[in-house]
Amino acid sequence: MQRVDDLSLPAISSANLLIAGFVLCCALAAMLIGAFPLQLSILTVFLFAGVHNLMEFRYFVARMPIRWGRSRTYYLVAIFGVIVLTAAYLTLYFSSGNWIWSSDNYAPLILTWNSAFIFWIGALLYLRGKQKSGDWGWAIPLMLFLAAAAWAAPQYWSLSLVYIHPLVALWFLERQIRRTKPEWLRAYHLCLASIPAFLILIWIFAAGQPNLTDETRLFWRIAQHSGSEILPGISSHLLVATHVFLESIHYFAWILLVPLVDRRAIPWRLNEIPMFSKGNGIRKIFAAFCVVAVGVVVALWLGFAVDYTTTRDVYFAFAIGHVLAEFPFLVKMI
Amino acid sequence: MKRTFLGFAVVLFLASLAIADVPRPDKPNKPDKSIDTSMTIRLDRNAHDARLIIPRAQIQQLRAQLDEIGGSDDSAAATGTFTRTQTIVSGTLLSLAFVFGGMWFAKSGRAGSKGITAAVMILTLGSIATLVLGNAGPPPEARSITGKMFSDSVHMYKFGSGAIKLEVSDTEQMPELIVPDPPKTASE
Repeated sequence: MQRVDDLSLPAISSANLLIAGFVLCCALAAMLIGAFPLQLSILTVFLFAGVHNLMEFRYFVARMPIRWGRSRTYYLVAIFGVIVLTAAYLTLYFSSGNWIWSSDNYAPLILTWNSAFIFWIGALLYLRGKQKSGDWGWAIPLMLFLAAAAWAAPQYWSLSLVYIHPLVALWFLERQIRRTKPEWLRAYHLCLASIPAFLILIWIFAAGQPNLTDETRLFWRIAQHSGSEILPGISSHLLVATHVFLESIHYFAWILLVPLVDRRAIPWRLNEIPMFSKGNGIRKIFAAFCVVAVGVVVALWLGFAVDYTTTRDVYFAFAIGHVLAEFPFLVKMI
Repeated sequence: MKRTFLGFAVVLFLASLAIADVPRPDKPNKPDKSIDTSMTIRLDRNAHDARLIIPRAQIQQLRAQLDEIGGSDDSAAATGTFTRTQTIVSGTLLSLAFVFGGMWFAKSGRAGSKGITAAVMILTLGSIATLVLGNAGPPPEARSITGKMFSDSVHMYKFGSGAIKLEVSDTEQMPELIVPDPPKTASE
């Protein structure tokens, strides 16, 4: 006779819950975004754009050592690159009026910026390679190849950054799971494998849809951001839906999944941050930064409420800073 | 480190001050680069070349339209000039990528592995296929502007192209496309 224990349902592991939750959220997101891409774009940016930046900032700060030691040159190059490239980007962006997508007059400057960006990543890889053992010789041809691509098709290059950036969060999460929650790794890989399936479903649904309306400046900007002017042969419904879907996963990863796998990324656990908790840290400066960062998130919400379109433009211009800040930490995790 | 953080904060603060007054970009108005007209297409058994005849009055109208648009021609010219630089730089970078990649590959001692050999073979076959398919094109009927373009066998390509003479006429009232229509040969 079987014991009662044997008849009970098998225990659901947290990894299985991760798969179920992830797939369910993606399915819901794909359905809603596929049906209402513009509305969901407005809503997700309003709700999560500022918060996810705050979480990213929080995560990076927690990973930053107090004493840079052997990594001093690496961090100096990283910070210098983020500041200079961000400043150059903002100058180009605001002087040309949305520079990525228009203004042939700015082509040489755009190409120069792209090259500087790629060679900055190359320098980070080189410095990282010097610290770690192993063969890092692949980095040089890879950077040269990317630079060639950026020169050959600058607009496609810029657009590819828009679509690749959301995926960087998933890479971060993968590296973090390897370190702090390896029992989730297989489940997470299954989650990642489901994303192309959802994208294909969105494409099947949206490919035949007419272009989204660009009657208002906001709708035009959203479609343009997704590459509707660079890829005029593809329905802007498909482009916007794809971009919003990837961005939503990106927000989801930073706001929910990263803190789930890394205790140091839980927002209120400031004592887990060396810069804040250690005696030789910069407690006051760090606290001030946190207050300013929270203030910026609140200001963004207010800005969106008052003038959504302008706030969105300003946000996405400054967002290049967080895109760039990801790379040094990403390279450091390789 | 404190100085670095303070410097970072100051730069961000000053950047926001500097940028706060910049006006937001507006949706560009796309001016109309066309004029409304009608066109005649005429099959001509005696014609040797395809000719597109445009009335002078309409050319002048179109030119006036383009003059009103203004700067776009300059930017197009600038892009065209820069494309050559882009080609040279991207070609140089790509060559350097192959050189450095080859050196790394040879140095890493992976040249003999089965996986790499298979990858090289697939890439080589792929390149050959590209060369072969790259030269394949639509049939000659779709690559010359003649009366045969209107046949069913060419319709499936949804396009056709070929040499044409552009002419300006003082007498014509509307644009006219004269299409040579050679008589069918015995083999057709």
